[in-house]
Amino acid sequence: MNINPFFVWLESTELSQWVVGSPSLLAFPGILSLHAIGMGFAVGIGVALDLRVLGVGRGVPLAEMRRFVPVLWSGFWVNAVSGVLLLIGYPTKALTNPVFYLKLLLIAIALVLYVKIGRQVFDDTWRTDTTTPEPGVSPRVQRLAIVSLVCWTGAITAGRLLAYTYTRLTASG
Amino acid sequence: MHDFQVWLVAAIRAHSPVVHIMRSAWGWPIAESLHFLGLCLLVGSIGTFDLRLLGVAKRVPIAAVHRFIPWGLLGFAINITTGLMFLLTEPDQYIYNPSFHFKLLFLTIGGVNASMFYLTSYRQAFGPDATLEAPRRAKVIAAISLCAWVSVIICGRLLTFYRPGECTGHETGLLLTCAPEGDGRGGRGG
Repeated sequence: MNINPFFVWLESTELSQWVVGSPSLLAFPGILSLHAIGMGFAVGIGVALDLRVLGVGRGVPLAEMRRFVPVLWSGFWVNAVSGVLLLIGYPTKALTNPVFYLKLLLIAIALVLYVKIGRQVFDDTWRTDTTTPEPGVSPRVQRLAIVSLVCWTGAITAGRLLAYTYTRLTASG
Repeated sequence: MHDFQVWLVAAIRAHSPVVHIMRSAWGWPIAESLHFLGLCLLVGSIGTFDLRLLGVAKRVPIAAVHRFIPWGLLGFAINITTGLMFLLTEPDQYIYNPSFHFKLLFLTIGGVNASMFYLTSYRQAFGPDATLEAPRRAKVIAAISLCAWVSVIICGRLLTFYRPGECTGHETGLLLTCAPEGDGRGGRGG
């Protein structure tokens, strides 16, 4: 199946041309800025949980780290929307680059790990019984946290490399 | 200021120690990736602390969340280092770039604002009689902090859209925002 006609069509849409060509600061520059801000909050909160699991800030009850869950998902949705807009702007550039799929894969793994780690450490049923101490962090969760840190780092690096590794910018060139 | 900027660009070009690394195939992309990672560490720790002051995760002692701050400072150190590497490689692209001027302004606001927290609210937040509710002053500082760092990110992202071109005629304004004639390569464009 030849996907080129799809790229040609998508790049001819008004939305795609607005993203790429509009002189407005809200277009390409604004979308890129949102993508960086969303990254800061999503990855920042994800990394903070990993660090807490690995022993930073022990004074913060692990279960309380769940208060920041909405911040991570807000950042994620900002980036999902801004990312799709960037993709509509330059579909050929991203979709013909293997690094782009690597970036998506690493983000997916990091998010699954965030949910998995959360399931184990956000549970605070021990709170209802004040005689039970907070359960310790298992080595398994700590291993997940390390993999999570590697995935976030890889996702960011892959994202940055997109600017250097693409072979086609648009469907026509 | 204009003369100072021109002198600074020339001085950096004459003495820059990192040009060879940064112009190698992987230098610039790796420095950029590290710059973004540092950003995440900074937002993840300082942003988390600001949100705590503003009332998120209220049951956690403020001092406990403050334990994440050293990781934010590590991110900041990574970003100062990599940022300097960009600046020392392409000085004209930053020294004459209005977006860079604003980025430095918001960085200064973020820094002064953070020291205001320690000057005004340290005792209430960390002392023996610390409360779970942050004092109002500290909340204002936290809100300013979040705005300042988000602005720093925006200005950083906008740098590439305000690359200075060649100057035309006599330039006015507090800071020079174009590359003067005879200034080596001048604007690199695109």
